[in-house]
Amino acid sequence: MDELKTGSERDDANTHEADEAQALKVDRRTVVKGAIITGAAAVITSKKTTVFAQSYPEFPPPAAGPAICEPRPTNSPPTTPFVDDLPIPAPAFPQLLFPFPTKNANTFAGEAARAPHQRWEQFLPQVFYESVAAPSLHRFHRDFSPTYVWAFNGRYPGQTILGHYGVPSIVRFRNNLPIDHPVPGINEITMHLHNGHTPSESDGFAGDFFGTGLWKDNHYPNVYAGVDQFGGIGDPREAMHTFWYHDHRAEFTAPNNYMGLNGQFILYDQKDPGHELPTPGSLRLPGYYGVTDIPLHLHAILFCPTANGRTEAYHTGATPGQVDKWIINGKIQPKLTVRRRKYRFRIVNTGTVKEWNVSLIGSDGSQKPITVVAVDGNLVQTPFVVNDRPLKIPVSSRYDFIVDFSQFAAGTSVYLKEAAAQFVGVATPDPAPGLAIENVAMRFDVVNREPWFPADTPAIPNQLIQMPPAIVPDETFQWAFTRDGDPVRFRINGQVFDHNRVDHVVLKGSSEEWVLANDVIAGNWTHPVHIHFEEGRIVSRSRTTRDANGVVVSVDNVPLLPEELGRRDVYNLPPQERLVIRMRFRDFVGRYLIHCHNMNHEDDFMMVRWDIVDSVEELTTKRREIDQRRIMAGLPPQYGEGKKGRLV
Amino acid sequence: MKRRELFTGSAKSSDACCKPGVSRMASLIPNALFRTHEDKEVRFYDDLVKGRQVMVMMMYASCETFCPAATMRMVEIHKQTLASRMGKDLFMVNVSLKPEEDDPATLKAYAEMHGALLPGWTFLTGSRYDVDTLRYRFFSHDHIGIDMDVDQHAGLMKIVNDPVGRWFHADVFASTRTLLQHIQWSDTPKSLAERLNDNRKLQEQIDKEIEIYGYRKIA
Repeated sequence: MDELKTGSERDDANTHEADEAQALKVDRRTVVKGAIITGAAAVITSKKTTVFAQSYPEFPPPAAGPAICEPRPTNSPPTTPFVDDLPIPAPAFPQLLFPFPTKNANTFAGEAARAPHQRWEQFLPQVFYESVAAPSLHRFHRDFSPTYVWAFNGRYPGQTILGHYGVPSIVRFRNNLPIDHPVPGINEITMHLHNGHTPSESDGFAGDFFGTGLWKDNHYPNVYAGVDQFGGIGDPREAMHTFWYHDHRAEFTAPNNYMGLNGQFILYDQKDPGHELPTPGSLRLPGYYGVTDIPLHLHAILFCPTANGRTEAYHTGATPGQVDKWIINGKIQPKLTVRRRKYRFRIVNTGTVKEWNVSLIGSDGSQKPITVVAVDGNLVQTPFVVNDRPLKIPVSSRYDFIVDFSQFAAGTSVYLKEAAAQFVGVATPDPAPGLAIENVAMRFDVVNREPWFPADTPAIPNQLIQMPPAIVPDETFQWAFTRDGDPVRFRINGQVFDHNRVDHVVLKGSSEEWVLANDVIAGNWTHPVHIHFEEGRIVSRSRTTRDANGVVVSVDNVPLLPEELGRRDVYNLPPQERLVIRMRFRDFVGRYLIHCHNMNHEDDFMMVRWDIVDSVEELTTKRREIDQRRIMAGLPPQYGEGKKGRLV
Repeated sequence: MKRRELFTGSAKSSDACCKPGVSRMASLIPNALFRTHEDKEVRFYDDLVKGRQVMVMMMYASCETFCPAATMRMVEIHKQTLASRMGKDLFMVNVSLKPEEDDPATLKAYAEMHGALLPGWTFLTGSRYDVDTLRYRFFSHDHIGIDMDVDQHAGLMKIVNDPVGRWFHADVFASTRTLLQHIQWSDTPKSLAERLNDNRKLQEQIDKEIEIYGYRKIA
């Protein structure tokens, strides 16, 4: 039991031992799981190190909902830096599902209504997981009492699902959230795998949510894009590896994610096999999950003063922008012991609105290099080093980067810096010259590699992947992100989100050039735009300067950063700027979304449903309907006569 | 988990539901004194929200664009589909954004002009401070430029279901189907049996759509 605890938690083990015993008694599966993970962890840990901390729920489920604190606290309670070890989200454990998953929704056993799984026979699921969303308690810091959260299988953040390309899987998301639920989240979920090549009925469409007591099987074929064209499991050049799953409930994405309904999802393949052994085709990047391949979930919360034996997260209903504690993998300012070798970090910004700007700072106060190998889950063609600027991580963006800790002496510390300051409240000297404690998100303690710890991997290859051929677009389409209209709302192409209304239709197998336009004056919002289903390639970025009367003064081309050269699914769109991207739509049909991933904007309806259809007839009909509807609403038609490259 | 539950896959605790709990919203919603279009004094939370499902909209009488449009739209919805519920378990509260201009008589004239003197529909005016507090509580964007501008909040609607702590916003100008769905989303949750039944109906509808169109047409 002790093996599974972090050092700081061992101190108060006695108080929670009874709780844990109870938690274990409740569910025999947990014991089995715990035992197996303990076994796995024992192989790779020393007495003093814990790899899979918190591999089972820390506390029994809470009896009462959270206490609402009001008025809003000025700041969270103080916390001592670097007392908790960085927890690693436990890998999800495959299991058998009863009732067995079916192609058509098993509504008689309580499955949420959905269209039948596409390509079910072709990608018959082989691995099954179950994730139960339920209230739980989680301790964000040693100095805090437990906090009421919503979590999957009692873990915060959710378990990491480790899959493999070519091995289709089912994740059964079961909703056990309380009926009488607290402000601000809502007890209805629809789970989105960001940005899986997932058929529509498993993609977590915002209007497809299901309530307490129901469940839904999300079918993840785990194939590369291009199945129709290449056969088998698609085009391996379209591989992406780091995903995350999160709730996508219309209007409640921000509160439900703030409450904790998310986790990471990793897919391995030959290039990136999840180990470091010299297998054919392997890039041999650091790859032992939880050992040398560490997921980092970035999150931010405002906490209420401790009351009723709990340190509650301040309800987000009104103002999620006021967060002041930076949280990594569910801990405030944690520390991680690293050996002097290369490590891979899979960093994901789980929101809800905060943009992170992270950099690695050595104990001498200077910025240290990190090598980015993947952006939004896609390996980049040429790894690039970031050592002179912070890495900008908009909400929901993922970066995989490699840090070579052999450049640091054993016994020294390295810090992950976040550009914005948090509230610490405990007087602490600057950990490094010029680095305030408020800016430190976490600390890495460098030690020499013990003989049992995996040896360092070879140098990072100069070229990781061969990019798929450039996309030749069949036509162009523009998405304008604005905040205007009557009444003033966040809008895309002049309209707010309506889950019953489709605003753009594309043909399966076609490709399009999409212009993402944020034509507002400087100083306005930046929109991290997310497009479901397929990865896009950025062609160009331009900035339009306007004078006070809105007259265009100049249009400048903005050079692309190295992280924008690869394939992406979250596109940072600052004011004044326009992005030209190219997308393909392959293999599956159905309803997908484009939205601003600032979850507050998304919940304010800055989202659009677009459909992939597989016949020209359906495309023509739907496009005509869209134009008719737009004309009725007093908006210009989208596919009018004379539009270049149009299909109808 | 009981064996039956293992096979039906239904959750354990879900049937113990649906009794409205103690409201957690009392601390979140201002309880300020307002004056209705009937010139009656009311407490916002105690008299208008407590224990109820309420649609809250901001407007002002001299507003020329979206306030009248939003009011007319809601009158239409009210008459077409909500008449059986309004005033019984569903209520509408319109709060004036310009309380200095809008006295109860002005509001009543506005309501009369738009045919909004309907059951369950209240127009409110009060002090500038109380109106602003309410406006921030319901529609704040945490953006000073937007939140200072009263026009930015005109024509927006929140739906609050106090006993179960549900809190939605809706687009008044969405299609009737969508708007009604949004109102329905904020309804007090039904029992598991009822929801399973609804779920099966939805499935039938999806199946029918796929049969007719070859794809799932609408949500």
